[in-house]
Amino acid sequence: MIELILMPLAAFVIGLAMVLMMRRIGARLQRRVGPPLLQPLWDIIKLHGKETQTSHGLIHELGIVMAIGGFVAAVTLMPLPGMNGLAEQGGLIALVYMMMIPSLGLALGVGQCANPNGSIGISRALTAMLAYDIPMVIVVFGVAFFYGSTSLVQIIDAQQAGGFATWGIAEMPLLAFAGLFAMQAMLGKQPFEIYVAPAEIATGPMVEMGGKFLGGLFIMQCFQLYAAGALYTLLFLGGGENWLTFLIKVFAVVAIPMSIAFLFPRYRTEDVVRLVWKWPAMIGLLGIAFLMY
Amino acid sequence: MTELIKTPRTGETLPVKAGKRTNPLANVFDELVRFAQSRSLFMLHYCTGCGAIELPPSMTSRFDMERLGIQPMVSPRQADILLVTGYVSVKTLKRIILTYEQMGSPKYVIGICSCTVNGGMYWQSYATAKKLNDYMPVDIYIAGCMPRPEAVIAGLRELMENIRQGKADSWKDYYRHYDHYLGHQQRLFGETWQTPTDVIAEARHYGLFGPDTLGTHTALLEQHQRPLEALEMKVDIPELMARR
Ligand code: SF4
Repeated sequence: MIELILMPLAAFVIGLAMVLMMRRIGARLQRRVGPPLLQPLWDIIKLHGKETQTSHGLIHELGIVMAIGGFVAAVTLMPLPGMNGLAEQGGLIALVYMMMIPSLGLALGVGQCANPNGSIGISRALTAMLAYDIPMVIVVFGVAFFYGSTSLVQIIDAQQAGGFATWGIAEMPLLAFAGLFAMQAMLGKQPFEIYVAPAEIATGPMVEMGGKFLGGLFIMQCFQLYAAGALYTLLFLGGGENWLTFLIKVFAVVAIPMSIAFLFPRYRTEDVVRLVWKWPAMIGLLGIAFLMY
Repeated sequence: MTELIKTPRTGETLPVKAGKRTNPLANVFDELVRFAQSRSLFMLHYCTGCGAIELPPSMTSRFDMERLGIQPMVSPRQADILLVTGYVSVKTLKRIILTYEQMGSPKYVIGICSCTVNGGMYWQSYATAKKLNDYMPVDIYIAGCMPRPEAVIAGLRELMENIRQGKADSWKDYYRHYDHYLGHQQRLFGETWQTPTDVIAEARHYGLFGPDTLGTHTALLEQHQRPLEALEMKVDIPELMARR
């Protein structure tokens, strides 16, 4: 029971550090100093402390709750070192479902804002979700097929049995590569960042969000970074034997898309779909074909 | 058209009353929230004038505003600071006021460049609004034609210090003296000027309704005010209509 509170809390704190890391990486690549240590926390506190909280209705508020809640639920399904949470009961299929809920919640919330920029943004976001979910599902079920189980606990045990040689990334390099590719799109980082596009559609889904609503989205971003990094670590890097190795792996995984992100402009929506359905999906299918024979 | 009429606002500061905040969360952690507010500022840069050219260097690698926790945002709902960078023509002033009223309080206005202080080199222009603080409360002016990034950052630091000490509350002045600001706006835009924001109701909501909120100018506004209507949804493309 206590794990169900501790796991999202740990995820949030790690997520805050990841947001800081993301901004620092961006700053370093642009030869800047970057934000101070607690900047992500100050942002969230400030946004929740604003006096004006412009709400556009009940669904607007519920949408944000759904966006965070989906990730909180997803996080409890991912075993941490020493904590299994709901991982035994849930398994991979429930996890994949939970990871989709935030986008849908966001779509609901943004829908009620009735801002054309927001609607354009969310339609692009859902199209992008359609794009990256195909390779994501291929990768996830490829891994489940290989280990003969959809339980993350068993997948991790199997990976930790023989050290690096039995890690997913050593056994299934093609799937691991496809997963990394799909993760870039899942995090909505450049070159797949068309639905945010600050200069063109004024940050798309976020355009009408102020105060605690934007703060909620910042919290969601923490969870999102953590969930993506943790999922990849659990599937391909053997999870965490202890907290130290777990944290190193998770941060290393998230650092890869971040470092790539700041070097690219962005693709158009149809190009995102074309690219993601072509390369990671094909590589993922090829990876599964290798596993079968 | 715009002459420097004597304005009761300049120099005179209102006694700051530690009133109850509308956000209960803010009430509990007042000190913490104030610190967070000073360390995290999202700015909306309204780059109308030439002064805007000094903002990119102050945001990018040379002077890097992000290390102070200041980052650009794109929509008024998300922003805390409205940066008005340079001369303000009568037409842009309308947009600036619309933007300002949509921002969530607490909000701060920074006037960069001499042109926002007193018209600068556009003093004789018929199309330029001279003093920004006639139309909205300004927290900090950064003078210069144009101010260098160091000056911009020094100004922002001063604003941060003011926020931390709870002194940067000029946004309340807009509600307390709405009549004054509206009067100046009407002088430029004509008496039918109205914005979609119901400032008087907001003043009541924040508990900032004072004797100077209403006056002759707000009476004029009420006389001309048309209720806001939702935009009609219609498709006016002939080819599409023919196909239906
Ligand atoms: S003060 Fe000088 S630089 Fe600034 S807007 Fe006016 S003319 Fe341009």
